[in-house]
Amino acid sequence: MTSETDAFHNLQVEADSLPDYRHVELNPVARSFLPYSLITTAGFWLFLALVLLAVQWVPYVNIGMGLWPPAAVLLATVWFCLITWLGVRRRAWALREHDLIYQSGVIWRKTVIVPFVRIQHVESSSGPLERLFGLMRVKCFTAGGMMADLTVEGLDTDAANRVRQYLLEQIRDDRVADGESGSGSASESGNESAGELGSRAEADEVDRGPG
Amino acid sequence: MDQGEADGWQRLAPLSLIFVIFGGVQKFVRENIYLFVGAGAGVAFTEWLGPRELLLGVTGVLLAIVIGAVIYHRRFRFKLEEDAIRVRRGLFERKELRIRFARVQNIQLGEPFYFRPFGLVRFSLETPGAAQKEVELPGISRELAESMRDRIAGSQGEAPFQSDVEAGGHVPVSAASEELFAASTGRLFIHGMGSNQVWLIFSALAWLFGVVVQRFGERLEQTDGFIWLSEQFAIGWLLIGLMIPLLFAFLVMVSGLLSVIRFHDFRLIERGDRLVGVGGLLDKREQTIRRKKITGLTLRQTGLGRPLGSWYLLVRQAKSSDAEDAGTRTGFQVPGLKRCDHGLVDRIVHGWQTPEAFSPINRRFRLFFWLRWLVLLALGLGVLTSNFGFDPVAASVLAVLYVVVFFCIHLRWRHWGWHVDGDQIWIRRGLVGQTLDAFDLNLVQQARINQSPYQRRHQLATLQLVLPQGAVTVPFLPFDTAAELANRALLAAETAMVHRV
Repeated sequence: MTSETDAFHNLQVEADSLPDYRHVELNPVARSFLPYSLITTAGFWLFLALVLLAVQWVPYVNIGMGLWPPAAVLLATVWFCLITWLGVRRRAWALREHDLIYQSGVIWRKTVIVPFVRIQHVESSSGPLERLFGLMRVKCFTAGGMMADLTVEGLDTDAANRVRQYLLEQIRDDRVADGESGSGSASESGNESAGELGSRAEADEVDRGPG
Repeated sequence: MDQGEADGWQRLAPLSLIFVIFGGVQKFVRENIYLFVGAGAGVAFTEWLGPRELLLGVTGVLLAIVIGAVIYHRRFRFKLEEDAIRVRRGLFERKELRIRFARVQNIQLGEPFYFRPFGLVRFSLETPGAAQKEVELPGISRELAESMRDRIAGSQGEAPFQSDVEAGGHVPVSAASEELFAASTGRLFIHGMGSNQVWLIFSALAWLFGVVVQRFGERLEQTDGFIWLSEQFAIGWLLIGLMIPLLFAFLVMVSGLLSVIRFHDFRLIERGDRLVGVGGLLDKREQTIRRKKITGLTLRQTGLGRPLGSWYLLVRQAKSSDAEDAGTRTGFQVPGLKRCDHGLVDRIVHGWQTPEAFSPINRRFRLFFWLRWLVLLALGLGVLTSNFGFDPVAASVLAVLYVVVFFCIHLRWRHWGWHVDGDQIWIRRGLVGQTLDAFDLNLVQQARINQSPYQRRHQLATLQLVLPQGAVTVPFLPFDTAAELANRALLAAETAMVHRV
């Protein structure tokens, strides 16, 4: 489509010589991610069980569900805690020279690979409970819309900061290597682009307030 | 139009207020139609209100839209800068946008019939990240719109070009431009006949028909008409049996006619680095996109279009949403293609060829879904039997349903395929119709490899490649093949010299 990329179009790369993401040794998530995940999962389901149990004693209203629903939810709590425990053991991530690999899921296993050159900006965030456990999430935004964004969960604060910093450096390096063909620079919080063409917010929008 | 105000800000033409009002009404209907139709809430609401209250309500809403449109129109300002356009707009809160010309991927000039006598056009710009049109100037003079279009072209390092649509609607093809494709009226009619909008019209009419029948039935119950109608019941069924195919044929014709109106005299013109699509009877549109901003092509044939041999092509660009699908007006669509026109792909993106054959996905796709549906329907039959006893009619209906599902799964499997051609990949999918997606591997934003327990047992995987225009999926690939395709895509993306997205 562009003359600049033509040089790459005819490159023949044998399948055996392709860098294979499967050969990478992945890093497990932080140890504290297991209690955090168990507390949030169990908390959600136990709250639901409590609500169903409390419904039995609502005055003047005979719902007549019995104790089966809360019992079923308690069973679900055990099941989901088990899945969470296995899920945390399987969750892993790795940085390669040019991309980020993230693996998750127990029953349906998922591996996501995002090239650094496609990351437009990086965001790190943590909720109160995550902060209590010393955890942080790193979210990578790309141009493919919401489903193309990748959130890496289960990193401790130090690792998350290092990953974010590394990603930002890689994005900058890529841009320098590209001769700054695009506009704007990769950013932690802005809506600027890392490539020639796309950024989610193309326009500089200034909210001028009511009136 | 008040051009050249002291600070350079310009206003819309007074006549464009009509368009803003039309747009407001359209937006209101579009945003509320689902609420109205959904779950019969609208019907219940209209029944609860009397006709006078309803009329009063509708008048109130229309008045609010008109007042809103007048304020919006009065406040709207735009300004051209050396390398960008600025727009100030807003009803309750004022927003200011600045779009650099270099970011523009799609320029549209629309000329609704009611603008023609006044020489006005609707000018809109799209940028890669926006889910919808970023800037729309609903009513500026044609000269200004054309000069802006040329200025944007100039800022993108190209020579300005002459208008593709002259005042008389004639499209001159100069030496600098080449006509790649022209759709005849017959082709456009067939395109409409095969379009999925037939089903949309059909479902809207079915809903309307349901409301009318309900109302009519209530009236009949109050009079002797109900007894009379009951006597005519046998004839009624016969009539309905005849009416449905006739109604469907009528809708297909209406859809064909709508397509002719929408794309009338459609031409695809190549002009240097740009592709220009021109067409439309009541709303003549000229759409310009840069080749550099193309992120893929989609060739599509609907289920109805298949017996008619009709295809259409979507030129894909970076979007946050998949909104440029058929039926919406935002995408760059080339209608009225036949199988023999597939060579157009090569003329739009040089070097791309529609593949002759596709590698199939694994046969276990069929087996998996055949078994899953069998278990599901057997469970359904089991539940029915345990509650109401064995009903041979219900069992027969489920058996027929399973046969239909069986063939649908087979068709789905047969259509799903992939083909790698250098750094391009083609992915085919479909049920009765088919969709062929083509894109450069180096545009991949993210590669995902998913495995269900069944797939893990049989060394299979589902590959999902996320692109600027959305994601494409190839299920039930051998795991090694999925990994190899992901590795290939990543290598292409990571070694691309220019990062187009």
